[in-house]
Amino acid sequence: MYDSIIGVTALTVDLGGNPVLRDLDLTVEPGEIVAVVGPNGSGKSTLLRCLAGLQPVTSGEVRVFGRPPADDAGFWSRVALLGDEPAWYPGLTAREHLELMGAVHGRARMPVEAALETFALVERADAPPLNLSTGQRQRLCLASALLRPSTLLLLDEPERGLDENFRNRLTGLLGEYADEGGTVVMATHDQGLAAVGRRFVPTGVSA
Amino acid sequence: MSAQASGVRAVRAYLSSRGRARTGVVDRYTSAFGLLMFVAVAGRPVTEMFAGLAGPVDPARSGAGMALLALGLAAFLAAARAAGPVLLPSSDASWLLLSPLNRRQVLARSARLLALVALAAGVLLGVMLVAVLGAPDELVWRVLGALVAGVSATVGGMALAVLGQASQTWQVWLTCAIGVLLALALVAVTGQLRTVAAIAAGAPLPALTAAMSGAALFSGLLVRQAWTALDRIPTRKLLASSTRAGHVASAATMLDPGVLTWIAEDNHWRARKLTSRRWPSLPGPFALAWHDWRRLARRRGRLAAMAGTAALPAVLAQAGGPPAALGAAVLAGALAVASLSTSGARRDADNPALARLAGVGPRQALAARAVLPGLLAGAWAALALTGLALTSGPLTAETATALDGTGVWWLFGPLAAPALAAAALRMARRDPVDHSMPVLDTPSGPVPTGPLFWAATGPDLALLGCLPTAVALVLQPAAPAPFLVAQGVLSVVVLAGYLWRARTGGRAR
Repeated sequence: MYDSIIGVTALTVDLGGNPVLRDLDLTVEPGEIVAVVGPNGSGKSTLLRCLAGLQPVTSGEVRVFGRPPADDAGFWSRVALLGDEPAWYPGLTAREHLELMGAVHGRARMPVEAALETFALVERADAPPLNLSTGQRQRLCLASALLRPSTLLLLDEPERGLDENFRNRLTGLLGEYADEGGTVVMATHDQGLAAVGRRFVPTGVSA
Repeated sequence: MSAQASGVRAVRAYLSSRGRARTGVVDRYTSAFGLLMFVAVAGRPVTEMFAGLAGPVDPARSGAGMALLALGLAAFLAAARAAGPVLLPSSDASWLLLSPLNRRQVLARSARLLALVALAAGVLLGVMLVAVLGAPDELVWRVLGALVAGVSATVGGMALAVLGQASQTWQVWLTCAIGVLLALALVAVTGQLRTVAAIAAGAPLPALTAAMSGAALFSGLLVRQAWTALDRIPTRKLLASSTRAGHVASAATMLDPGVLTWIAEDNHWRARKLTSRRWPSLPGPFALAWHDWRRLARRRGRLAAMAGTAALPAVLAQAGGPPAALGAAVLAGALAVASLSTSGARRDADNPALARLAGVGPRQALAARAVLPGLLAGAWAALALTGLALTSGPLTAETATALDGTGVWWLFGPLAAPALAAAALRMARRDPVDHSMPVLDTPSGPVPTGPLFWAATGPDLALLGCLPTAVALVLQPAAPAPFLVAQGVLSVVVLAGYLWRARTGGRAR
């Protein structure tokens, strides 16, 4: 068993010879929301990639659910990662992408209809994702990540392309997710979103 | 115009001075020497090949041959239309197209490339025309006439496709031309055009000259129109055929064949109005794989075309194709059909973000995704082999029925299906072309190995996995039962091995 969802000790990552993260420590408890903040290039996305097991570390230790993150089905059934926009499956509508996500996991955190309603996509439900606007596509990404069951949510700049109203609504949605026992780690530049959880600055300098 | 034209030249000169090294005198000498050597080496076999074409051909074969020619030209036109055909590397599209530079000069390089492609296709078509019609007399003139006819058809067709990009009216004409060619192929395969073919093969020289001059003139007029129309192609169409949002990054350095198919696919769905349907309750991996089934159900036209192409090996057999060519046609066709239903695996290999969100194990996902391509490839190959057995090709019904009274050749289709599915998945999950691989210097010019390896990834597994079928099709044994058993076993081994080797996080080689 493990005490904390995430345990990072003395993490150092070099990219192309440049130190991106240096001696970083981070512990995240179940039900916690952590907002990783900092200027461009401070290593926010790199930290998220390390937590997802997609970035080899130079030194130090990263443990998620008590063991090093593994890029396998068992890991991804508990972790939902939202980074850059995914490549959508050709020939499927926005609604079908959400239904697919629910069907693959056997159960969903919310019905597809409710997700479409919550993420303001009802009118565009039959459109292929590529025909949606940038903000609508980001809402579809968030809906896919929040519809499926998960224990840990890793979000890289979830506010990308979203209008002010929806950013506020997202704050509430992440709060609900944490209330259900889920843990959120997100990299963000949005002050409102950052305020919903504990702020963490990868460079170690307080923002 | 001159100021803008010189502007384009200046920009191109600047780009090339910053790019790869300029070709020097030694490079030109090497190329010229290589070309001369090629002519010296290949000249004799080519002459002998043409000499072999002298004399009349079996009229029973000319119908099927004409059908294949018409189909080939229709496919050429359809491919030109699907590609654009005028397109630019994405860097040019981003930097030169949206600028005050002279549009025709910017596009001139692309137009010259299209002309070269059309010329090469035309020469091929001409040679095939001679092979189909035969040359009872005056070999040189008949070969020349056929080459002029082939080049006129492809160059004129390419010009028509360019005009179609510039205006909707020409687009309609292009569609009509493709339709007429398909109808012609259908009529030809029934043997109705034998008289026409015989008349064309034996036409007197003055008539041949007049016909070819007319064809060349018509084609020339189309080219002139197309050159004038280059200015009028709407920028949005050029951008659509050159780059697409989402593909810009991956297509940034070179035009990648894989990226081009995504552009075509995404364009197709962007223009469609879809209605969502409920996702079936299936176990996780199959729920994920259901995407390919739904996508295929939404492209019924493609499904029908797929079924129609199963007759092609039989037509090839009627045209006198050798057993090796027939075997290659069956396996290549089945692999092509299988690879049309692997877009889910391909998308997840290109970008595993959705696959990670789905959280299905790669092995289970691949196994579920192998079902549809396997079914399609098996059914197509079975149809194609039945067609072969029914026609007067080498796989005659007599040979087949001599075995057990019913004919068992079609069984190779379903038995080879698992191996073909594995090969199609390997093709879908291959890496983009690796342009950093070495370039081989051969007497006929440099050969980049990256695109060769890319093209061979997938077909290699198909050939390996379908070896018993391939050997049986070439040798045509009296008792194919051992080959059937070997094929069944090998197929299962190949698919199981491929799935076993599948790794997490996208690509498996």
